[in-house]
Amino acid sequence: MRLLIIEDEPGIAGFLKDGLEEEYFAVDIAYDGKNGLDLAMTNEYDLIIIDWMIPVISGIEVCRQIRKSGSLVPIMFLTAKDTLEDVVFGLEAGANDYIKKPFAFEELLARIRVQLRSKNQGDDSLRAGNLNINPGTHQVFYETSEITLTPKEFALLEYLVRNKDKVCTRSRIIEHVWDVHFDSDTSVIDVYITFLRRKLENAGCGNLIQTIRGVGYIIRES
Amino acid sequence: MKIEAKHALKSVSIRLKKWTVMSLRNRIAFYYTIATAFLIAMVFAILYFMVESIVYKQFDDEVNKEVTEVFTNAHLTSHDFTSFSRFKTFIDDNSEAKQDLKEVAKVDTEFIQLVNVDGEVINKSINLARNVLTFKSGETTMIYFNSTINNSSIRQGQLPLFNRNGIIKGYLIIAVPMKKAIIVLNDLQNVFLFSFPAIILTLFVLTRLIAGKSIRPIEKVIATSEKMTQPNINQRIELPHHHDELYRLSATINALLDRMQDAFQREKQFTADASHELKTPLAVVKGTLEVLVRKPREKEQYENKIQFCLMELNRMARLIDQLLMLARYESNKMSPHIEVVSIPLALGAVTARLYPIAQEKKIEFKVKGREKSSVTADPAMLDMVFENILSNAIKYSPAKSIVTITVEQKERTITCSITDQGIGIPEEKLHAVFERFYRVDESRNSGTGGFGLGLSIVKRLADLQQIQVSVKSEKNLGTTFSLTFPTT
Repeated sequence: MRLLIIEDEPGIAGFLKDGLEEEYFAVDIAYDGKNGLDLAMTNEYDLIIIDWMIPVISGIEVCRQIRKSGSLVPIMFLTAKDTLEDVVFGLEAGANDYIKKPFAFEELLARIRVQLRSKNQGDDSLRAGNLNINPGTHQVFYETSEITLTPKEFALLEYLVRNKDKVCTRSRIIEHVWDVHFDSDTSVIDVYITFLRRKLENAGCGNLIQTIRGVGYIIRES
Repeated sequence: MKIEAKHALKSVSIRLKKWTVMSLRNRIAFYYTIATAFLIAMVFAILYFMVESIVYKQFDDEVNKEVTEVFTNAHLTSHDFTSFSRFKTFIDDNSEAKQDLKEVAKVDTEFIQLVNVDGEVINKSINLARNVLTFKSGETTMIYFNSTINNSSIRQGQLPLFNRNGIIKGYLIIAVPMKKAIIVLNDLQNVFLFSFPAIILTLFVLTRLIAGKSIRPIEKVIATSEKMTQPNINQRIELPHHHDELYRLSATINALLDRMQDAFQREKQFTADASHELKTPLAVVKGTLEVLVRKPREKEQYENKIQFCLMELNRMARLIDQLLMLARYESNKMSPHIEVVSIPLALGAVTARLYPIAQEKKIEFKVKGREKSSVTADPAMLDMVFENILSNAIKYSPAKSIVTITVEQKERTITCSITDQGIGIPEEKLHAVFERFYRVDESRNSGTGGFGLGLSIVKRLADLQQIQVSVKSEKNLGTTFSLTFPTT
């Protein structure tokens, strides 16, 4: 899952990046509105966190521009503005959620997961056949046995399961699992796919991840 | 008329008790009615007395005519009492009376009576029968007065009669009836007495109506004002068409509301800024520590993060200090201890303190102007003013530049100017530099570490000491802050 944080306060941006990366998110940071908008327009993010009061272009304006471009990416406001009018104004500008500073990191994390939850998903856990993924605890189960994965393997599997029955192109996988600083050498995906397949097979899961030659990978429900 | 006035006074005293609860509308009507009542009462009284005096004058003329008739008929004068008293036939001449001798006098003709100086009747006309005309003793000139005979009003004239030596010996009394005239006068009085309260009552009702109509705009003002609470202060009173007092009242209230809204707005902005400035470092520290304790880490990582948090906390402590200082100065709890301060000494102390920071950027202080300038100020406050302006100058100066301090005296006014060679402040932003939390560079992390409170503190301190602060700036050439001290 790849996130964009638009926040001018380096302290906040810093710990958000640290904390979220530990949670296997790929995190990009922009320190002003213009930069943030550019990133949001050129890359595909799973969620964008925006501070309201940022230089050059305000958070509200960034949010509006993103919505104007037709993107439905979940947007969360993160701001010290705390009056009722501010909250309503922010949500009406197209944000999906609003969290006030100072906030608890755990709450932010939970709210991010809520935004990433797909519509037909009752809780946070993801499923593909008998494979069960819990993003909150970073655990993967096949039937009842747990499969131990590295953070990148987990992020890759999570992305594929979230997009199950859809072909995930190599470039999209790179965009969503690795952050912006990663060079576009996509062969690293093959390496991780190999690791993943091996671990899944060892657990008895069989060949869950299928290769679509020349395009990417897919996980099918059946 | 007198009774009416008394009655009015009584009702005034009763009304006075209810004075405080009386509406403006009723009060206007009441005042107006009282004034008009006095006026109408006066007009009625004057009219009545004028009519009365005209009527009496008519009767007095009649009396005089009768007197002349008596004198002419008898060939007598008023200075011949003796012949008068001997003269017996003048009354008998009255043929009308002769024909109608009765016990009781008829009061539709004139009566004549002759009395001596003590009022004893010497002679009288027959028509008087047994009645006697009223006599007033001691009068030396002709008098006229009202009297009655057989319960009928008459007008009497009493003419003194003298002997040849000019001594009063008796009086000739002539009376004429005025029954019809009195009826007219009584009618007039009744008309006045009955119409007065009716007029007053009608007037009160009418005035109340008119007053109510003319103060209706005030009701509107009240209604609008009542609707105005703090979150809803953007409403304004609709201005009336006429440029009258109510227009001025509405305009004044609107202007007051404008100022209040402005103040509210600034206060709101300040609270928003202060909360943002306080919450941001708090969020940074909280978040950093939360992320830090989620997982076990290396010792070095703990130390780094804790150092970082300490820095944030220090910054927050500085902000709280400045906010409290500003709050204290703005609540006027601090009064300056004004004394004579030497500018070179005060400046010397501050520049020495700031020397290390200036040194880092290789900035030089250059002092120009009079050596021995003394001003009246609070030493501690002046120190803080200088420190804030000078540290700002250092902050916004490029490395290896010069900060010039100029002390000038024009007549008795001393001005101290501090000029840097920084990037300058755009003219459209100059007016706002003294506002709380205002920073010319809008991003909070310009690396200067300020909060935008320094110059607010300077302005407030200068105001307390009656020092005028002004700022001039030229783009890319630098900014000058000038302090003009009060004349001693």
